Amino acid sequence: MDNQKIGVYVCNCGTNIKKVVDCDEVAAKALEQDGVVCAKSYKYMCSNPGQEMIIKDIKEQGLDRVVVSACSPRMHEATFRGALAKAGLNPYFLEMANIREQCSWVHVDPRAATDKASDLTRGAVRRVVHHEALEKRFVDMCPATLVIGGGITGLTAALELAESGNQVYLVEQSDRLGGNLANVDLTAPYLDSARDLIRERILRATRNPNITVFMNAKVESLDGYVGNFRARIAADGETVPVEIGSVVVATGYKPFDASRVKAFGHGTNPNVITSFEFEAMLRKGRIVTGQGRPPRYVTVIHCVGSRSEEFHPYCSRVCCMTALKYGQEIKAALPDAFVYDLYIDMHAFGKGCEDFYKQASEIRTIFMMFQKNTAPQIVAAGPKDDCEMFLRVDDKLSGEEVDIPTDLIVLMVGMEAREDSGEVARLVNISRDKDGWFIESHPKLDPVATTTDGVYIAGCCQSPKDINESVAQARAATARIMAKIAKGRIEVDAVFAEVNQDDCSGCRVCNDLCPYGAIDFDPEAKRSNVISAMCKACGACVTACPSAAIKGRHFTDEQIFAQIEGVL
Amino acid sequence: MAVQADPRLVAELETYGAQDVLKCYHCGNCTAVCPFSKEPFIFPRKSMRYLQMGLREKLKANLEPWLCYYCGECSEQCPREAEPGETMMSMRRWLTAQYDFTGISNLLYRSWWAELAGILLIALATGFGFWKFGTSVGDIHVYDGPNAFLPSSAIHAFDWTMATILGTFLLVNCVRMWWMTMGKDPRTRATPGMYVHRLGQLLLHFFTQKRYSECDKKAPWRLHIVLMLSYVTMLVLIMFFLPVVQAGPAINWWAHALGYAASAGLIVTVAMALVGRIRKSQTHYKHSHETDWIFLAMLLYVAVTGVLQHALHRLGHPYAANITYLAHLMGVVPMLVLEVPFSKWAHMCYRPLAMYFAALQIDVMEAREAGAVPETRTA
Repeated sequence: MDNQKIGVYVCNCGTNIKKVVDCDEVAAKALEQDGVVCAKSYKYMCSNPGQEMIIKDIKEQGLDRVVVSACSPRMHEATFRGALAKAGLNPYFLEMANIREQCSWVHVDPRAATDKASDLTRGAVRRVVHHEALEKRFVDMCPATLVIGGGITGLTAALELAESGNQVYLVEQSDRLGGNLANVDLTAPYLDSARDLIRERILRATRNPNITVFMNAKVESLDGYVGNFRARIAADGETVPVEIGSVVVATGYKPFDASRVKAFGHGTNPNVITSFEFEAMLRKGRIVTGQGRPPRYVTVIHCVGSRSEEFHPYCSRVCCMTALKYGQEIKAALPDAFVYDLYIDMHAFGKGCEDFYKQASEIRTIFMMFQKNTAPQIVAAGPKDDCEMFLRVDDKLSGEEVDIPTDLIVLMVGMEAREDSGEVARLVNISRDKDGWFIESHPKLDPVATTTDGVYIAGCCQSPKDINESVAQARAATARIMAKIAKGRIEVDAVFAEVNQDDCSGCRVCNDLCPYGAIDFDPEAKRSNVISAMCKACGACVTACPSAAIKGRHFTDEQIFAQIEGVL
Repeated sequence: MAVQADPRLVAELETYGAQDVLKCYHCGNCTAVCPFSKEPFIFPRKSMRYLQMGLREKLKANLEPWLCYYCGECSEQCPREAEPGETMMSMRRWLTAQYDFTGISNLLYRSWWAELAGILLIALATGFGFWKFGTSVGDIHVYDGPNAFLPSSAIHAFDWTMATILGTFLLVNCVRMWWMTMGKDPRTRATPGMYVHRLGQLLLHFFTQKRYSECDKKAPWRLHIVLMLSYVTMLVLIMFFLPVVQAGPAINWWAHALGYAASAGLIVTVAMALVGRIRKSQTHYKHSHETDWIFLAMLLYVAVTGVLQHALHRLGHPYAANITYLAHLMGVVPMLVLEVPFSKWAHMCYRPLAMYFAALQIDVMEAREAGAVPETRTA
């Protein structure tokens, strides 16, 4: 080790580091360290000339370890590892000292900051001495995919994959495909038939030889890791084991139970129905009140269960346009009927939706705005009134308390996470938010991936969304899967935990601790094993192991202790 | 206290010329841009809302349509093309019909053929009556002096009789307007002292249309003031100086000069309004109700026949002058009978009254805030 040749590169980051830290001094001090043969300060180390400088020094001076004191490794560790690889050095012979986020950006005293930067750099120099050459690994990618949920999202994902020549196992819990969309009449804003949308997909999916559909089925277990999952599907009283490389979770949503809002009396008043019950009427082509008469006045109430303190704070996103659609469908069936639309805010985002809102006004839907967290009250009608009841609304736009005549009330029930979402989350090892929706890897940049590699979420199981968005997510997930299938193998980071089989006592402390389910227990050998493809190198098992049998590659004890000593 | 909604009111107002009322989604741009929209009379948004909801009683008690002069800026700004300006116009027509106790106004506004039939009927009755009268008291070949076909003294007496009858109708309607907007609701009841104090407002707005001149667009006010002054001049000449104006053969130049100027003013302004409506040159000309056309056509007809009978008389054609005079009367009588108490012309009273009442409502509100007028009970 004594004959190691270490190069230290101190980045000025323009003035980001230099304005507080004396980079030349940090470099000069680094040069005093054992094994350091060159130390340089430069304007932008991550720039091409900066990287070239490192590559040149490695080649000309025969450096075998490199320390870069610069920004956070999250920013440029990959950049500098690339430079090392280019120079023919193992990329893991790099260590970065963060003297920007953890020093120049947070300190104002140049003297103290410079000293701290020198300390951090010294720690990195001491640590890098112990770095080992690590090699990246690859695992096979099984081209088959498990799709959980046979709604519009699941069907789209299944078709996309199958029509590209890949095997799909489509698991549907109920006895029919189509999901919630199969219960809908027309879709907003173009008034296309939902039946046509879904039926065509079901036919294609059931006829495609690459898709195996399991009805009345459930995924019992899922083991393995990205590219190499094993699932057990229970259907028709038997359990079918399948091998898959990826999982698409498209379990959808559950309509909100309107009877929970006591004020509307859903379930007891025959003239108060939910949007899904109204869809059933529309599909039958017969809009009637509880008394079996065509209604003269229909009132549609938005945000039932949504945007409320009592139930769900979020917006269910599709109800506004669906409510406007009812105006169109009612006026088409009963041209003389009056349609009241009671909303909190009209959310008409999305292509064609603002125009659809305008059309609703043009066909004479009467809009009323009521206060959030209040519910319009049902008031009995007198014998002389030509309506079944009145709905008392505190109309925000006129400031008046108005009684509107009503024969039929349609409650726009929102979406909520399914009761079994917790079970599904545990099965595929993903997380849920406070409302029960599955959490994506990154809300903006990685919306369909999850914290478990190879498991994707799409559609309404992630949060309420419309058909377009659900289909887009299904296709996004399949694009991600097909990219992996096309590569044929999956690169696994060289940094992961390893269990020394000789030291492992088989106590299984680490098994439940691993947040990624990456630890496998071999019951015969009575030893635990880390599945490297699933390990994220968090180190939880390493610290917990009572036998010190687990080693975190690239985070070994001696590396960390050397770094601490160096800093101190 | 909850008020009951009537979803049929919008359709009712549409027969009065309202357009696309339900397109309004209450962004409030119209109200922000209106130069007259000030507390406590914020319009036209709230009036639009009362109408959309079908709050009939609220709308009846509403003075705001009369505070609007339809400059059209609201309609130009409306992102939904809900035509708030035209809605306010239709509300004025509707309110005119609500104030009218006879129901004639309602009939005239809602059915153009009823209006035409009414005009025709009154015109024929007038023509027949004056023909009978003229031939019994005089000679159709004599225009003035003794034995005149339509002696000015008789016409003068007829004018005053008609004015008394029409004035009575209009007065009753004005009282009804007061009751609907001021009297009915205890919250808008002003003290007699307030009525006296604000009387100046009534006269000011009646004679000057000062408020109209405060619109951002000045041209409509100019046209209106010329039309109105011409009309008033003519009215004064006829009601008070008919023997001087009509009788000959000597010419009273002062009276005639005024008459010529007023006739020219009427014809030019009415022609401009007609051309504007045909070309839809301005926002407030974009939508024309049947009553707008009939009103302008009648006014033009009356002005032209008036000038013509005068000219024929002066040129020495008494027979033709008498016939034209008869035709003139056949226009002027139905126009006044229908328009003054029951239709568009009633606005000469309703507008200044509305401004008077609006000032009083502000007084009442301020007095109540100061604790001077206790709130007795709510309606």
